Amino acid sequence: MINLKVVSPQKVIFEKEVEMAVLPGAEGDFAAMPNHSPFISSLRPGQMVIMSANKVDESFFVSGGLVMLKEKVCEVLVDQIESLSDVNNSNFQQSKTFQELEGNETALVTFEQVVNNPPYK
Amino acid sequence: MPNLKELKNRISSVKSTRKITSAMKMVAASKLRRAQELAESSRVYADSLSFILSSLAGNTKNSPDLPEILTGRENSKISLLIINSSDRGLCGGFNSNLFRNAKNWISEQQEKGKSVKIITVGKKASSFYKKTDLDVIANFDDLNSNNKQLQVSEEIKNKIMELFENNEIDEVSILFNKFVSVITQEPTYQSLIPLSKEEEDEEVTDKSNAVFEFEPDKNELLEYLVPRNFLTQIYRSVLESSASEHAARMTSMDNATRNAGDMIDGLTLTYNRTRQAFITKELIEIISGAEAV
Repeated sequence: MINLKVVSPQKVIFEKEVEMAVLPGAEGDFAAMPNHSPFISSLRPGQMVIMSANKVDESFFVSGGLVMLKEKVCEVLVDQIESLSDVNNSNFQQSKTFQELEGNETALVTFEQVVNNPPYK
Repeated sequence: MPNLKELKNRISSVKSTRKITSAMKMVAASKLRRAQELAESSRVYADSLSFILSSLAGNTKNSPDLPEILTGRENSKISLLIINSSDRGLCGGFNSNLFRNAKNWISEQQEKGKSVKIITVGKKASSFYKKTDLDVIANFDDLNSNNKQLQVSEEIKNKIMELFENNEIDEVSILFNKFVSVITQEPTYQSLIPLSKEEEDEEVTDKSNAVFEFEPDKNELLEYLVPRNFLTQIYRSVLESSASEHAARMTSMDNATRNAGDMIDGLTLTYNRTRQAFITKELIEIISGAEAV
């Protein structure tokens, strides 16, 4: 198990033990698992998922950020994050992230894609 | 001899002042707690970010291609100072301390041959610096009352990035009241450009140097990280300043409440004495009148 810690500039969003987390790295998605080599990467807008037993447990949209991966700890510094279980196509325009990302076209397009057709289901 | 009616009015007016100040104290105390919580919860992000930055900057320390925005320009001519004041008054020496401190700093810079530009945060600073002949580039008001701290920090960050790229400024510092304890707040400077020394904590960088891999490469990461770092530093200073403001208001309102109490005691004493004196005087008049008959 690896300790996944998701932090926004305002607060710690959650911290928990997970089997595996898949993150949208700047140069491609990667999976954070225990004993990964120490690694720092920036994130592109995309889907972050928490998985156990090859199934998606939870799914989020992140608008960008940084990740620092150590042996047993994965720290994700996100700009904006929203749980995809809270957003569907009908309330997409009202979602918190949508309003915060206003003006940032590329991130918004990705957000819509992730909501409608997430790469990990 | 003081007029009884007048005394009574004064006592009741001081009493209502005391009510106001003690209410303000309560409000400040509860706001202080919220502000402290906010500052506390934003610390995790800031700490992690500065850790990443220091391991990155440490890693590239000896390479000459570090961006100017991190190391500062060699011949810096123009400094920018961001001053964090409050939006409201009645908080003791909170703002005046800050402005006095800023004045010294500015004249120091001018002695070194640098010119100074200013960005003000909070209504008090903008109205104060309007009257001086200093170059105020921008004002940001009213950020604590409607929780716009992060948004405003972002705007300030964009502003300084833009100014730096256009060569309009060479150095950036923030001035804010650091929250030491409820009774002490300390005007503090923090340098953003060049990156202040404490960020590059030697031991941390040495330890982390060997281990981390970076993706994409370091310079691209720095490009993302530097503005993020500005944002968190500014955000942190704004939050810290708001906690200090509430603490300062709480102490000064506590003092005011106590002073009002003392004043009421004094006035009540005079009032009672005067009233007694009137009664005695009337009695004497009646008695001497009766004796004369």
